[in-house]
Amino acid sequence: MMAEDKILLVARYSEGDMDENEIANFKTQLQDDVELQQNLKEYQNIHQSLKMQLANDESDQRFKQHLNTLGRQHFSEEVKVISFRPYKKWLPAVAAILVVGLLLWAPWNSSLYSNYADNGQMLITERGAAQQTNLDVAASFYNDKDYVAAEKLLEREYLANLQNEMVGYYYGIALIETHQEEVARTVLTKIYIGESAFKYDAAYYIALSYLKEDKNTDCIAWLKKIPPGTGRYAKATELLTKL
Amino acid sequence: MAKSVHQDQRYLLALVNNDAGLINEIYKKCAGKVKSFVVFNNGTADDAEDIFQEALVDIYNQAKYKDLQLTCPFEPFLLLVCKRKWLNALKKKSVLQVTNSEDDLLLVGEDTFKQAEQLEEQQAQADLFLKAFEKLGDRCKEIIKWSMQGDAQEKVAEALGVTYGYLRKKKSECMASLIKLVQVNN
Repeated sequence: MMAEDKILLVARYSEGDMDENEIANFKTQLQDDVELQQNLKEYQNIHQSLKMQLANDESDQRFKQHLNTLGRQHFSEEVKVISFRPYKKWLPAVAAILVVGLLLWAPWNSSLYSNYADNGQMLITERGAAQQTNLDVAASFYNDKDYVAAEKLLEREYLANLQNEMVGYYYGIALIETHQEEVARTVLTKIYIGESAFKYDAAYYIALSYLKEDKNTDCIAWLKKIPPGTGRYAKATELLTKL
Repeated sequence: MAKSVHQDQRYLLALVNNDAGLINEIYKKCAGKVKSFVVFNNGTADDAEDIFQEALVDIYNQAKYKDLQLTCPFEPFLLLVCKRKWLNALKKKSVLQVTNSEDDLLLVGEDTFKQAEQLEEQQAQADLFLKAFEKLGDRCKEIIKWSMQGDAQEKVAEALGVTYGYLRKKKSECMASLIKLVQVNN
């Protein structure tokens, strides 16, 4: 048999392009034919080496994303956390307005949703670059609770990098806050299905998005997905008792 | 005789399974050392970060797709891979003065050197295969690429608008052409 024929034979065997008879013949031939054994080994080596470079499947992407996050934490010269520093001098005035505002607004009477949606602070740690990125600006808006502005910027970031769960998570919350619960749930469900640190936070906010729409049954179902030992468990159980 | 697999193979499994705890441990143990080495040798913290990540991705790829078996301890192996990568990068930039911190290199066993060298060779070989792949016709490239992207092959056939049988036949032919190209280049 010609060397070239052997290569095609090996390829057809490896790709499942043989019927039962051909497979049996191939296996018999393989036992004594050293060149064929060598060809098969080479085929597998080339196939896997190429797959290594071409696959880039979801788990590969998740892994690289994970390394990106860790790299930023462990290698940055200086860690920058977006903070309220510029607003510090206004704090006493803001506090005074808040006290008056709180008395008028009486949030303790308002909906369960606003009691349970703490929304947190969007903290971005990154290299101490002087230039403000789109994400920095989004974080400032988010932390100022200007969800309309934050949502627009986060959408851009999210679409540019669908694998970034952190961005997806805050984008999801901004969507809920801007009455786009349905879209929010699509974004957050994707995070819940994955294995990131935001998995159960995403479940919690999906539950809250239903709560906001008075869909208590769906809300309960999602709250129950949050297992003990996770950050949102206490709040989720507390909310369950009130529904 | 084949050498037995080192117990640190668990780190390779952790990479493949994206195990947050152990991967974090790897960063805690090794990131600082790689950073010192790179920064000490004409690099920046950003260079160190890139080199470190590249090394981990290479090891991950070899473990996931090519069943890499570690026969030496993980930490010196990773450090050596990073050092070699950085030295190669410097060579490319023609910066030759490298201060080798020999004290820790002396602690590296022969196995570790061999394994780091093999990783580099495998990587270089994979690049050659990719170059050969680029020389294939567009249809072959499309078929091979899609079929390697992890989806069920039936779905790939559907996406390409062909039958599953045709996909297998065409992929065998394309792969055979690729192997011949690789052999010619060798």
